[in-house]
Amino acid sequence: MPLTEEIKDAARQLGQALHQDEYIRIYLDALQATQTDPEASVLEKEMYEVYEGLIARQQASEDLSQDDTRAFYELRGQVAHHPLISHRNDMLNTIRPYLHQVAEEISFTLGVDYPALTKPE
Amino acid sequence: MDSQTNTVSSITRVNPFQAAQALGKLLSETPEYKAFIGAQKAVNSDPTSYALSVQLRGHQHAIQCGRDLYGEHATEAARLELEMGDLEVVKEYHRARQAVSVLIQAVDKIVSREAGVDFAINARHSGCGCGG
Repeated sequence: MPLTEEIKDAARQLGQALHQDEYIRIYLDALQATQTDPEASVLEKEMYEVYEGLIARQQASEDLSQDDTRAFYELRGQVAHHPLISHRNDMLNTIRPYLHQVAEEISFTLGVDYPALTKPE
Repeated sequence: MDSQTNTVSSITRVNPFQAAQALGKLLSETPEYKAFIGAQKAVNSDPTSYALSVQLRGHQHAIQCGRDLYGEHATEAARLELEMGDLEVVKEYHRARQAVSVLIQAVDKIVSREAGVDFAINARHSGCGCGG
């Protein structure tokens, strides 16, 4: 059954309330900083491309060499230690308990765990 | 005048907790949610399902506690899961759960898009964000 307009509006309201929330802004600002920084965004994009390439080769039954995986791990290390990316990840970890509290309001009303219901069984 | 009104409404702060409550209330009135709760109650009050789930939990507990050296608990747990899955009441529960899950995923997509952050994934208690 498609979502009613009333539910869509309520979902938008919640999303916008979170977007405007000062606490969530600390993460969104950090996210924007990584997205607008050419070095950080290129580095992260490259890491995902290399990762997807390795997965595709593995799925094609190709044996990956140590050099292949080492290159990926080095790249992942650079990404993890990039100050803007690392700050963004820290901020995401900071806001998670808050997001959990907000989701608990829905869970409490429903009597079931809202985040768990978004996962397939 | 219209643009002034829009500007004012766009900066009006809504409390996320109140918005979450309002959304939860609307979701609780949907047919999918009501069917899911009904199916959950039916499973919990079905004597066969209850007996099998008690046995299943016993074997799962043994596995978690490392008391399954020869795999007999894992084998029995798998057999019980299959037996439970064959019960009509359990099949109906899975159908209802799937329907409510589709609904809530669609809702969460809207919330996350507007918020600029994946809501449910990051709201999970483990907080690992890996979807696990």
